[in-house]
Amino acid sequence: MSKRSAKAKKHLSPSARVGSILMDVALWVFSLTCIFPLIWMAYNSLKVKRVFNADKLSIPGLFGAPLPTLDNYTRILTNPDYHLFESMWNSVRTTGISILGIVLFSFIVGYMLARVKGKWNRPLYLMFLSGMLIPIHSLLVPIYVVFKEMNMTNQWFTLLLPYISFGMPMGIFLVEGYVKGIPVSLEEAAAIDGSSFSRSMWSIIMPMCKPILVTVAIIQVFSCWNEFSFALVLIENVHLQTIPLALTQFKGQFGSDYPKQMAAMLITMMPIVIIYFIFSKQIIQGMVAGAVKG
Amino acid sequence: MLNSIRPNKRTILLYLFVPVLIFVFTVFYPLCRAVIYSFFEWKGGPNMTFNGLANYRMLFADKVFWQAFWHNIYLVVVCIIGQMGLAFILVMFANSRLTHAKAIHRTFGFFPSTISAVCIGMIWNIIYLQDGLLNTVLNRLGLITGNWMSWPNWLGTGNVMLAVSIPLVWQYIGYYMVIMFSAIAGIDSEIFESAEIDGANGFQKAVKITLPLIKNTILVCLTLCIAGNMKAFDNIYVMTQGGPGTASMVMAMYGYNTSFRDSNLGYGSTISVAIFVLSLAVIGGSQWLVKRTTKGVEA
Repeated sequence: MSKRSAKAKKHLSPSARVGSILMDVALWVFSLTCIFPLIWMAYNSLKVKRVFNADKLSIPGLFGAPLPTLDNYTRILTNPDYHLFESMWNSVRTTGISILGIVLFSFIVGYMLARVKGKWNRPLYLMFLSGMLIPIHSLLVPIYVVFKEMNMTNQWFTLLLPYISFGMPMGIFLVEGYVKGIPVSLEEAAAIDGSSFSRSMWSIIMPMCKPILVTVAIIQVFSCWNEFSFALVLIENVHLQTIPLALTQFKGQFGSDYPKQMAAMLITMMPIVIIYFIFSKQIIQGMVAGAVKG
Repeated sequence: MLNSIRPNKRTILLYLFVPVLIFVFTVFYPLCRAVIYSFFEWKGGPNMTFNGLANYRMLFADKVFWQAFWHNIYLVVVCIIGQMGLAFILVMFANSRLTHAKAIHRTFGFFPSTISAVCIGMIWNIIYLQDGLLNTVLNRLGLITGNWMSWPNWLGTGNVMLAVSIPLVWQYIGYYMVIMFSAIAGIDSEIFESAEIDGANGFQKAVKITLPLIKNTILVCLTLCIAGNMKAFDNIYVMTQGGPGTASMVMAMYGYNTSFRDSNLGYGSTISVAIFVLSLAVIGGSQWLVKRTTKGVEA
């Protein structure tokens, strides 16, 4: 591609050359607006409130601006009232267990739907399909009531149930489609060699489904890590807050101390940002596959 | 599948029991409860009184709810035009042989859609402050002058809906770009080459060849876009809480306020049911409309 475009460039008419420059500029403007808020936050989190309020754009230490300071970070990380690490641990734990549950159940249900035919097939399929269409905000009130009745709000496992339930449908459809692409003769051959249904499922088909299971996990890592509505309604205990919830609370606690808000956001975004820029290719591919096929 | 390796009923049940139970318990059971509560007057305490269709009558007359509904529709329209339109144009640029660094644009452009809506909302709040980033930049460019107290308040009543929709549009342009990009990569490049030989320009290629060929992908994007904006909540919660007044109220925010801030769980359930019905109606209706209009084009 690059060779071809270099070749094409040599023979360009002046108008096409201007066009190509304009298109490049448009793309760069777009890309930079996507990344600029992150950079802007990063260097402004190194200012104290007074400096930030005086100048929103200057870079600390450059062109006579005051030197950068880690003040915001030390104050956030050392103040136990903000329990930032606790929130991060809650998010890591909730996301991790939810992903395991989603991948496991998606595989089981997807495999059964693809391979075992019965009267229950279609109703089950439709039931999980409906899960992708039900708007979660129409469930906030009743889920709150049901969980409250059973004393299931404000527990370490509270958020796992809704996250797994709303993560499963897309996973099931991805797995089902994938398993249908694997020839049945594989399991038939295994059965002739004496492998049971469960053994074929777990030790032959499951390893073959690894790519699609990784895709499911990638999509759900982001949606669980970023989920807000269920956490807002079901978690009141500050020690069980996940990160998005903790951030909205910081917003109130820090008031108009915006550099401090930025520092808190950056600390909590760090894991996601690092993972994203290392695995961006796989992540983008996975998310797109999920969106189009799901 | 061979009958000999078909698992027995007990095995099937054993495998499906847990996932189905979890799903029914957190999705269907609550949904049924919401329908039941929607016929009751209930403020969250022990007193629940059946009041028939009174909640629904109240809903139909509830100006704030319908204002919120139209705000959702506004978001859908702005995002379809902004996200999908801009995404398509940018993809056409990126797909051209004349532009460079596609991988970087893809990585940078997709980045905002991996960040939580809460973070995005908080960042844009700081951008929109009266002496925030946007006004500061406008001031440096000489477009607004004077004391910052006189600078525009972007989250004020007049333009708040546009202001809250810009972060939404911005966050997901890259997402739709990547989806469209992968669809276009699947088109046989010979089609474009022969069109070029026939003298088609970039615009003609985009509209007459690419667009019809990725029609299905566009439909997927459309559905995602509509479904996503009918449930807009996180951004609004962080940025305006539906205010000032009800100037940026959306359905989910109104349902949340009614149910949890005013603890009116009965009417809140009615709103929940309405969100469910209206969202499905808008998604279904738009699909029907698209299918109907595109059928004529094909024939």
